[in-house]
Amino acid sequence: MMVLILAVVLIPLLGATINGLFCWFTKRKAHIIAVPAIAIPAIVSLILLARVLQGERFDQVLYWWIPLGDFRVPIGFLLDELSAIMITTVTFVATWIHVYSIGYMDHETPRGYAKYFCYLNLFVFFMLTLCLANNFLLMFVGWEGVGLCSYLLIGYWYEKASAANAGMKAFVVNRIGDFGFMIGLFLIYKHLGTLLFSQAFASAEQLSVGVATLITLLLFTGATGKSAQIPLYVWLPDAMEGPTPVSSLIHAATMVTAGVYMVARTHALFNMAPLSMEVVASIGAATALMAATMALVNNDLKRILAYSTVSQLGYMFVGVGVGVYAAGIFHLFTHAFFKGLMFLTAGSVMHALHGELNLQKMGGLIKKMPITGWTFVVGALAIAGIPPLAGFWSKDEILAGAFMGGHRIIWAVGTFTAFLTAFYMFRLIFLTFFGEPREKHLYDHAHESPPVMTIPLIVLAVGSAVVGLLALAPHGGIVGFLNRTLGEAHEAAGHEGGLTYILMVISVAMGVAGVVLAYFMYMKRMPDPVAMARNFRPVYTLLYNKYYVDEIYFAFIVNPVVGGSRYALWKFVDVIIIDGAVNGVGRLCRLVGGGLRYIQTGFIPDYAWMILVGAVVIYWIGRLF
Amino acid sequence: MSWSQLFFYVFAVLAVIMSLMVVTRRKAIHSAIFLILAFICFAATYIVMNAELLAAIQVLVYAGGVVGLIIFVIMLVKAEEDEVRQTHGQWIIAAFIALILVVEVAFVFLGNLVQRTGNLAGKMAQAGGNTEAVGLVLYTKYLFPFEVASVLLLAAMIGAIVLAKYKLER
Amino acid sequence: MNVTVPMPNLSLVVPEILMVILACGLLLVDLFIPKDRKRVVGYIALAGVVVVGVVTAAFWGKMAQPATTFSGTFVLDRFALFFKEVFLFTTGITILISLKYLEIEKVSLGEYYALMLFCTLGMMIMVSGADLIVIYLGIETMALSVYVLAGFMKFDHKCTEAALKYFLLGVFISGILLYGITLIYAATGSTQLAQVAAVIKEKGLAKNPLLVLAMFMLAAGLGLEIAMAPFHFWAPDVYEGAPTPITAFISVAPKAAAFAALVRIFYHGIQLLEPQWQILLWIICAVTMTIGNVTALMQQNVKRMLAYSSVAHAGYILLGVLAANQVGVQGIAFYFFAYAFMNMGAFGLVIYLRRENIVGDDIDDFKGLAQTHPLLAVIMVVFLLSLAGIPPTAGFVGKFLLFAAAIKAGFYWLVALAALNSVVALFYYFRIAKAMYMQSPEPLPQLSPGRGLVLALVVVGVFTLFFGIYPQPLMSLAKDTAHTFMMFLS
Repeated sequence: MMVLILAVVLIPLLGATINGLFCWFTKRKAHIIAVPAIAIPAIVSLILLARVLQGERFDQVLYWWIPLGDFRVPIGFLLDELSAIMITTVTFVATWIHVYSIGYMDHETPRGYAKYFCYLNLFVFFMLTLCLANNFLLMFVGWEGVGLCSYLLIGYWYEKASAANAGMKAFVVNRIGDFGFMIGLFLIYKHLGTLLFSQAFASAEQLSVGVATLITLLLFTGATGKSAQIPLYVWLPDAMEGPTPVSSLIHAATMVTAGVYMVARTHALFNMAPLSMEVVASIGAATALMAATMALVNNDLKRILAYSTVSQLGYMFVGVGVGVYAAGIFHLFTHAFFKGLMFLTAGSVMHALHGELNLQKMGGLIKKMPITGWTFVVGALAIAGIPPLAGFWSKDEILAGAFMGGHRIIWAVGTFTAFLTAFYMFRLIFLTFFGEPREKHLYDHAHESPPVMTIPLIVLAVGSAVVGLLALAPHGGIVGFLNRTLGEAHEAAGHEGGLTYILMVISVAMGVAGVVLAYFMYMKRMPDPVAMARNFRPVYTLLYNKYYVDEIYFAFIVNPVVGGSRYALWKFVDVIIIDGAVNGVGRLCRLVGGGLRYIQTGFIPDYAWMILVGAVVIYWIGRLF
Repeated sequence: MSWSQLFFYVFAVLAVIMSLMVVTRRKAIHSAIFLILAFICFAATYIVMNAELLAAIQVLVYAGGVVGLIIFVIMLVKAEEDEVRQTHGQWIIAAFIALILVVEVAFVFLGNLVQRTGNLAGKMAQAGGNTEAVGLVLYTKYLFPFEVASVLLLAAMIGAIVLAKYKLER
Repeated sequence: MNVTVPMPNLSLVVPEILMVILACGLLLVDLFIPKDRKRVVGYIALAGVVVVGVVTAAFWGKMAQPATTFSGTFVLDRFALFFKEVFLFTTGITILISLKYLEIEKVSLGEYYALMLFCTLGMMIMVSGADLIVIYLGIETMALSVYVLAGFMKFDHKCTEAALKYFLLGVFISGILLYGITLIYAATGSTQLAQVAAVIKEKGLAKNPLLVLAMFMLAAGLGLEIAMAPFHFWAPDVYEGAPTPITAFISVAPKAAAFAALVRIFYHGIQLLEPQWQILLWIICAVTMTIGNVTALMQQNVKRMLAYSSVAHAGYILLGVLAANQVGVQGIAFYFFAYAFMNMGAFGLVIYLRRENIVGDDIDDFKGLAQTHPLLAVIMVVFLLSLAGIPPTAGFVGKFLLFAAAIKAGFYWLVALAALNSVVALFYYFRIAKAMYMQSPEPLPQLSPGRGLVLALVVVGVFTLFFGIYPQPLMSLAKDTAHTFMMFLS
C-alpha cells in the first residue's frame, strides 16, 4: 500500500520536475508528460479507495526527518476514508482540468505552456501531500506548497499588473492565516508532545477546554485564510486573474477546500472545544450569506463563481462546525464536481468571447455553444440543490445536521442562502446563455470549444449529476463511509423520518423559488432588475461594492501598515538604523588598521599585522573572563 | 666555573654581539655575513651542550641554506651597494616584541613551567651519542612523520618546478 | 647495540599509500601524454580518487574502535575516515570541474592533478595525525600544494598575487603553529595527543599559562585554513584570484581538514583546557560569523562574496566545536558534506559562466539567467537556499544540527547571534537570485561547460536536495563518527 501511496504522491512531482527542468525540450508537448502524471495517480487513487472501502487503513511513518533526540519530525502518510475521498476527488477533477487546459492554454508561448503544466502538476503534488500527510508538519508543507503554487498560477500572466497584484494579495492574506496555523502547530507540539495525527488525537482528551479552544481557533484562522472565509476571503475573487482552469482546480475544487479538510481531520481537537465549533459554524453561515448577496449584483462571470465558491465553502464550514463532519466533506466532494465544471464552462465562454467576462455583454450563447451551455445548466441545478443532482444531497445533509443539532438560526441562514444561490446562478445562466444577444459583435464570433475542452465538461457534468446518489449507497452511503473515520458528533442526525423530509422539501422549495424568480426577473423582466436596482439603490450600491470590505481593509489595515512601514520602518529603521549601522560598520572597519578595504588592497605586512593585533586582542579579551 | 661553562658564555656573548651587528649594519650584505657568524656562534653553544647534531644542522641549514638564500636575493635585487637607513619606526615595535620574548623565556624558566624529561645526557649516552639517539627515534617512533616529510619535500619540489619551469601564455 | 624497529601495521595506511602511488604514477604517466590531451591525466586522477574513496570506505565497518599504528603517531577512526571521504569527494568534484576550465585557461598541465592529489594526501594525514608533528607535516603538505595550485595561472597577475599572499601568510601562520607545538612539548614533554592529555590530567596543568598560549597558537595556526577571524584576511583575495576550481577546492577541503585537526587536538589533546578554549572560540565564533556576513553584504564579485560567506560558515561550524558534545561533532561532520555539495555547486556555476574575456564571477554575469538558462538558475537557487540554510536542503539540516548542539551546550546567545546572522546572509544570497530572476539578461555567447562540469553540478545538486529531504543516511554515518570519536572523552 505504501508503494501505491508513494506513486500517487510522487508521480505528479515527477511530472512537474520533468516539465520544470526540461521546459526547453517539452515545450508544446508538455501535456504528454503532465496529463498522465495526474491520470495515473487518479487510477491508483481509485484502487486505494476500493481497498479502503474493504476496510483497509494505512498509517505509517516513512522515515524521520532529522532524528535528533526527542525532536523528531515524521514524514509519513495516512490513508483512511477521509483522505481516500480527498485524493480521489483531487486527482479525478485535476485530470479533467489538465485535459481541458490543453485546449484552453493553446495560445501560450511554448515555454509558458510547459511552465503552466509544471506548476499545475506541482500543485497536485502538494495537495496530495496535504491530504495524505499523517502529521501536522507534512500537512503544513503541503499547505504552504499549494499556497505557493496558487500564488505562482494567479500571477501566471505576471506582465498584467492586476494579475501580479492579485497574486501578491493572495500571498499576503494567506500568510496571515498561516501564521495562526503555525502557532496552533507549536501549541499542539507543546501540549501534546507529538506532531503525528494518531498520537495527537489519541491524547487530545488530555487537553483542557481552554487550550483546545485556543488551538482550534488558531487552526481555524489558518482555515479562514486558505478557504476564504470571513474575514480573510478577500483574496479569492481577485484570484480570478489566473487562467480559468487554475481557478477551476485551485480556487474552486481543491485547494480552497483544504481548510475544511483540515478542520475535519482535526475533528478530535474540535470536539474538545464546543466554543470553536460554534465559531466555525457561525463564520461559515455568515460567509455563506454574505458572499451569496455579493454574487447577486456582480456582472463578472468568474467573480460570481468566485463568490459562489466562498459561499459554498461557508456551507462546508457550517457542516463541520455543527459536527456533521461527513456532511461537510460530502459537500466538498460534490462541490468539486459542479464548481469545477462551472468554472470550466466559464473558461469555455471566455475562450469563445476572447476573454470577455461581463454578463451584460452576453446573452443567447446557448445556440452557439450548446455543450457549454447545457453542462453549465447541469452544474447550476446541482449547486441550486435541485434533486437528484449532487448539490441537493450534500447541502441537505448539512442543513439537516444544523437543524437537528439545534442550530436553528444557522439553518435558517443556510436555507435562505440556498434561495440566493439558486437565484444568482440562474441570473447568470439567463444573462449568459439565454435571451437575446446584447453584443452582436461578440455573439457572432462565438463558437463552441474544441472536443478537448468539451469532453471534460461532459464528464464533469455527468459527475455533478450523479455523485450525489452516493448518499443512497448501502451502509449509510458516502456519509456512513466517512463516518467510519470522522465519527458522528450527535446520533441520529438526519434520521428522524418526517422532519427530515419536511426540511428537504423546504430547501428544495427555496432552490426552485430562486430559479423561478431569476426566470421572471431576467427573462420576463418582471420585476425589472434595473428598476429594482434603482429602487433599492443603497442596498444595491453596498452589494455592488462588496460591502466596501476591501476599502475598509485598506483604510484600517493596509494603509496604516504601509504608512507605518514607510515612515517608521523605512525612514527610521532602514535609513537611520540599518543604513547607519552599515555605514558605521564601514567606518569602523576603516578605522581599525586602515580599514577593511584598504587592507584588502594587498599589503601582506598589513594582513600579518591585522592577524597579530586581532589575535592579541582576542587573547586579552579571553583572559578577562 | 668549568671550561665548558666558560666556552658557553663566550659563545653566547659573541652570538649576541653578532646579532647586534646584523641589525645595525647599513649594507644588507654585511648584515647577511654577520648573520652567518651569529649562526655559527649558536652552533658552538650547542656543541658545548652536547647537542652536536643540532649544531651540525644549525650550520648546514641556517648558515648554509637560509643565509645562502638571503644572499642570493640580495644579489638578485642588486642591493649589495645600497645603504639602508631606518626611516620608519618599526624598530620600536620590534624591540618591544623582543623584550616580550625575553620576559617570556625568563618567565617560563623561572616559573618552572617546562616539563623536564629526566636525564637527557644519560639517555643519549645509552643510545651511543646524540646523533644516534635522534636517528633511533627517527626510524622507530617517528618513522611515519619521517616518511611524510619525504612526500612533503616531493610535493614542494614539483610545485617549485611547475612555478619556475613552464612558460604559459594565454 | 640492538635496535628493534617495530613493524607498523601498514594496513591502516593503505589509502595514504595508494594516494602516494597514484600521485607519483600520475607524474610518470604525464610524461607520455601529449600536450593537447592532458585531460586524460585528469580522468586517471579521477578514477584513482574514486578507487581510494572506495578503499577508504571499506574500512568503515572495521573501525568501530580506533586503531593506532606507527608507535601511536597515526590513528585511524571513523572520524578520520569520514573526513577522508569529504576530501576525496571534494577532490573528485574539483577534478570534474577543472577539466574544461584548464583548457579554457590554457593551463592544462598534468602536474595540476598530481599536486591536487598531494594536497588531498596531506589532508588525509592531517585528520589521521595523533601526533602534533604528523598533523603539522600534513598541513604543510596540503598547504604547499595549494599555494602552487592557487598560483597556477602564472600569466595572470591577480592569480600570482593571490598565491604569493596566501603563501606568505601561510608561512607566517605556520611559524606560529610550530611555536605552539614546541610550547606544548615544553609544557608536557610530548607531542602525542594521548600523552599530552595524560600529562595534563596527571600533573594538573589545565591552567598552565604555557599551555594556554600554545592552545591559542594552535587555534591561530589552524585558523588560517579555517578562515576564521582574524585569520581570514587572505581569503577574499585568494578566492578571487585563484583559478575558480581551486577556489572551490580551497573553500571546502582545507577548511574541513583544519577543522578536523582542530577538533582532534582540542578534544583529544587539550580537552582539560576546555574552559579556556571555550572562551577563545566563543569570541572567535561570534566575530567570524558577523564579519563574514556583514562584509559579504557589500561585495559585487561573487567569488569574493562566497569567500566571505565561507568565513561566515566557518563561524557556524565553530558552534559545533564549541558545543563539545556528540551532536556537535555529528553536526560538523554532516555540515562538511552539505557544505561540500553546496559550495562546490555555487562555484561550479561560476565556472559554468566562464567565457571569453569574462570570468563569470560578477553578480551582473548572473543577470537574467532564469530566462536564458532556466535549469541552471534553478540549480543555483538550490545551492543558495542550502547556503542560506532553508529547508528542504542539506544546508538546513547541517545548520540545524550545529545550532541544536550549541543550544544543548547552553550557548543561547551565540545561537541567537548565529540565527541573526543567517538572516543577514539571506540578503546577499538572494541578491544573486534576484539578479537571475528579476533582471533581464544581456546577450550571451554560447556557454560550453563540458560534460564533467555538468555531471558535477548534477551530482552536487541532487545531493543537496536529497540529503535535505532524506538526511538520515548521512546523519547516521555522522552519528557513528561522532559516537566513536566522543567515546573516549567520558
